[in-house]
Amino acid sequence: MARESPKKKAKESKPEYIQVAFNTPRPYNWSTGKYLGKFYAEAKENRKIVGNRCPKCKEIWLQPTVVCPKCKVDMGWDWVQLPQTGTVTQYTYLVYPLWDPHYGEKWANPYPSAMILLDNGFYYRAFLEETDKDKLRVGMRVQAVWKEDYEERGQGPADILYFRTIED
Amino acid sequence: MSKVTEKLEGMNVWIYHGQIYIPNIYSAGAVGSRFLVGLRDKKRIMGTRCPTCNRVYVPARSVCKDCFSQLDEWIEVSHQGTVLSYSVCHQPNPVQPVETPLVYGIIQLDGADTGFVHMLGEVDPEQLRVGMRVQAVFKEERVASILDIKYFKPLG
Repeated sequence: MARESPKKKAKESKPEYIQVAFNTPRPYNWSTGKYLGKFYAEAKENRKIVGNRCPKCKEIWLQPTVVCPKCKVDMGWDWVQLPQTGTVTQYTYLVYPLWDPHYGEKWANPYPSAMILLDNGFYYRAFLEETDKDKLRVGMRVQAVWKEDYEERGQGPADILYFRTIED
Repeated sequence: MSKVTEKLEGMNVWIYHGQIYIPNIYSAGAVGSRFLVGLRDKKRIMGTRCPTCNRVYVPARSVCKDCFSQLDEWIEVSHQGTVLSYSVCHQPNPVQPVETPLVYGIIQLDGADTGFVHMLGEVDPEQLRVGMRVQAVFKEERVASILDIKYFKPLG
């Protein structure tokens, strides 16, 4: 009987290592409540960004609140439509792909994330359409672009895809 | 699943359907891999025996939980065993391996000294009792997973 070479024997007895993988989506539901529900409804039905105004300090809050964080009074039901054009006051050029915390999927990348000073003086955080880093600048004028499909809207702030650069 | 929120009738309340993914991959290790390969290739349920405590662990593990001995002695145990405990589960959950209702069981296989957690199948929940004899049912296509054992069915 031929002797097996030690090398061959070592190859045969090499153990196999198993990897165990899990990637099951974990769904969950939460209720928006009355005030945030109004914000969601306006975004889906009318493509409007709405905040609510404090009856005492007249400050606009977004996301809408039940009690004014400043004055601690009941906000009532005074809704204000926010303008959808504004000026970029600061931006971050995102290179690292972030995960959408609500669906566990990756956000588009790269997208600049910007603080936009809306025309009524309200600051709003959103993505910008302009992905060319050299064309970004503080002070550029932008306008909100909504998801076109009615069925796809209904995700509140995420119904705005991004802000598009406009000339005026 | 719809990714879009639903509006409740007559109310300004929306139900937000979200979901998260937790991608997760780990190595079964030397001992776990050998156990799973045994299930896949030869339908063997393997355990390791502690030389000091004389106890057979199923599924196999590398270190004794009591005396911390290295467990090198591999033993094949029977496909048949005794139900030590069971639980009927009606609440659906996406991480469950099969549709509800499903029955989880702890089975002491013949030749083993520990309980083996798996599912019980082909059984009416009302017939379940502690001490019933069960036998492993293997899948036709096995992929070196603990679910290569489909479930344990009652004997006879």
